Amino acid sequence: MGEPAIEVRGLRKSFDKKEAVAGIDLDIEAGSLAGLVGPNGAGKTTSLSMMTGLLRPDAGRIVINGLDVWADPSAAKAVIGVVPAEARLFERLSGEEVLEYAGRLRGLPAAEARSRAAQLLDVLDLTADAKRLVADYSTGMRKKAALGCALIHNPSVLFLDEPLEGVDPISADVIRRLLTRMVGTGSTVLFSSHVMELVEQVCDHVSVIDKGKILASGTTDEVRGGKTLQQAFIDLVGPRSKGEDGLSWLGSSSN
Amino acid sequence: MARLLVELKLRLVRNALRSSTAARVSFLVSTTFAVLVAIGTFWLLAQLRLLSASVDLTTVIFSIFAIGWLIGPIFAFGLDGTLDPATMALYPLRTGPLLVGLLAASAAGAWPLANVLGLLGVTIGLAHGGLGVLFALIAVVLQVLFCIVLARFVITSMARLLRSRRGKDLAVFLVVPVFAIFEFLIQVIPRAAASGGLSPASFAGVDSWMRWLPPGLAAHAIQDASTGHLGDALARLGLLVAVIIVLGVLWVRSLDRALVTTDTSTRSSRVRNAALPLARYGLRGAVAARFLRYQRRDPASFAYWALVVVIMFVCSASTILGPHQHPAVVVASAVFGAAFVGSFHANPVGQTGPAFVFEAMALSGRRELRSYFSGQDIVFAAIAIPLLTGVSFGLAALVRDPREGFVAAAVGLAGLGAALAMSNIFSVALSYPMQKRAGSPMPQQAQGFGGYAFGATFGTLASVAVAVIPVIVLSNLTSSVSAAVRLPVLFGCAAAYGFGLAWLGVRAAAIAAEGKIPELCQVAMRTSL
Repeated sequence: MGEPAIEVRGLRKSFDKKEAVAGIDLDIEAGSLAGLVGPNGAGKTTSLSMMTGLLRPDAGRIVINGLDVWADPSAAKAVIGVVPAEARLFERLSGEEVLEYAGRLRGLPAAEARSRAAQLLDVLDLTADAKRLVADYSTGMRKKAALGCALIHNPSVLFLDEPLEGVDPISADVIRRLLTRMVGTGSTVLFSSHVMELVEQVCDHVSVIDKGKILASGTTDEVRGGKTLQQAFIDLVGPRSKGEDGLSWLGSSSN
Repeated sequence: MARLLVELKLRLVRNALRSSTAARVSFLVSTTFAVLVAIGTFWLLAQLRLLSASVDLTTVIFSIFAIGWLIGPIFAFGLDGTLDPATMALYPLRTGPLLVGLLAASAAGAWPLANVLGLLGVTIGLAHGGLGVLFALIAVVLQVLFCIVLARFVITSMARLLRSRRGKDLAVFLVVPVFAIFEFLIQVIPRAAASGGLSPASFAGVDSWMRWLPPGLAAHAIQDASTGHLGDALARLGLLVAVIIVLGVLWVRSLDRALVTTDTSTRSSRVRNAALPLARYGLRGAVAARFLRYQRRDPASFAYWALVVVIMFVCSASTILGPHQHPAVVVASAVFGAAFVGSFHANPVGQTGPAFVFEAMALSGRRELRSYFSGQDIVFAAIAIPLLTGVSFGLAALVRDPREGFVAAAVGLAGLGAALAMSNIFSVALSYPMQKRAGSPMPQQAQGFGGYAFGATFGTLASVAVAVIPVIVLSNLTSSVSAAVRLPVLFGCAAAYGFGLAWLGVRAAAIAAEGKIPELCQVAMRTSL
């Protein structure tokens, strides 16, 4: 394994008495497209929030490209881009303005921020809606705009929380291609998802998280172990359904 | 259907009561307020018995209730599940029974009952004799029916708009006139009445045109019946019934349309501006540019500025409307105006919501945080300085003492500096998540954070009140000096003092925020706007 771009050791976080993240260790190699998969409430968002400096951990260490996120947040934040799960942007700015603002927040000269914003809007197929307020954007358009905001300063490590939830197949393809392109140039991408097919298709590294613990981590083939990722995931996490015996009335033949 | 929808409404109330202590307290306060309104209205209408302008005042009170019915449901749109026809559109319902059911649901509850009981005060205040009382009973029922049908027609016609972003914006804008009317009724009128500037005779003749509106028809029908003009009384009530029928027909048509158009899409607006302004000023310029755009486009931001103006006018209203004018009150208006500028902007992280996370990624050091706070202050000052100065001079002109306008504007500048400083400090020390609650178009503090909001609001108000004392003292000490010398010096000193306070506030807030960015991000992410 090469130099890790993301190195996590003993990460813990509790809310009241509930342990959301129970001591996770993770190594993601530079240039990887890594997936963090787990059921709802597994601790994916909490882990990503701590890795990006947005949530203070109770214990543990996170190093991004050699920079300790909690010892030197300023330097670490400069090299990362983040797309939160709920892509809540500045509702009263237009798509064009929100990307330009993100660029200027990141210290880009205004002209450069404007130019990169236009190029990203074009690639993300948002040019026609560039002058519309974000408040009027659909979920998919918000996700794409949020991705644009996260990419505008050319981060070397990109974190995305459920990037394709609520996104139509065409937009999802655009996002997928952008991520693959980034990784091709040496950048690292870590995204959380519970869409196994997507993770299986695009990720070269997968970590399975449940109840705040990493159950498996490695290359996609290693974690799959000859099965589909969906089946491997269910085997690791265990089924949650209690059966459908009480629904004997359901279905056309019952009428 | 009527029974089902009444039960649905009562069930919604019961479920809301079970949801939290805050909901129970809110219901108790609302019901107590409804009882007080019923008793107060009954007493007020009954007191009109001996007044010559009783029918005029009754018309005004009936009209105020009609306006309340018109505006109330717009605020309660997300609160009362029976108001939105889209919730019924999924079920195979015929319009007729649904109409009766919605009417019955509207009439159920403490407020409609308080409305009827309160208005029955006309049986004592305006009605004379058995026929008068009989007409009063009928007129009150028709008045309440008119209010319900009018409210239902308007809300059904506006349902698509109210579900949209534009409709929600409209509801936020409506907060300003509602607040202004409320303040006028509970602050200005009692003070003006106490000082003799307002008396029942002031209302005589106001209904020369209002008598032809439905509330006026109801009130005048009672008077006509009481004075033996039975034909006129019957004609007025007949006209009122006709208006109700026409509104009912319009409501049916609107409901028919609403039941087959559940689409909630709205036309989106495009912005004209090509780029964000203040490009040359780095992070501070970027933050200022974002806040500047929000002051124009965010209805809540716009409403806050309008509320500052209303507060300033209300503070001086009694002296403007009263027979004796006290120009110094204009200075108090400026202090309150400045204090509320700070108080309304004391929680920028909560007001920004989850989008603050994007800003937080750039706010790692003390220098960046200073840029963040000063960028906001530049925008707020650019709006507040002309606003406070202009309103101060306007109020001074109304009390016929333009010189007091200079003093008020100077005190306002000092107060604004203190207000911005405290709003920056409280935005770190007492930052709290906000949420939009059903029934209130303006975002409010999330449950459990009432103490934070109270502390930030009253902390800012109290700090500003203390901070302006030196400027007021300076103004009083120099009152005998020639105005040509005194006022420019006072203005300059106050501006420099205010700027100094704001500058200190930026630095203090930046120091306090330096280690708190993750906590501020959690506040932002818990906000739901």
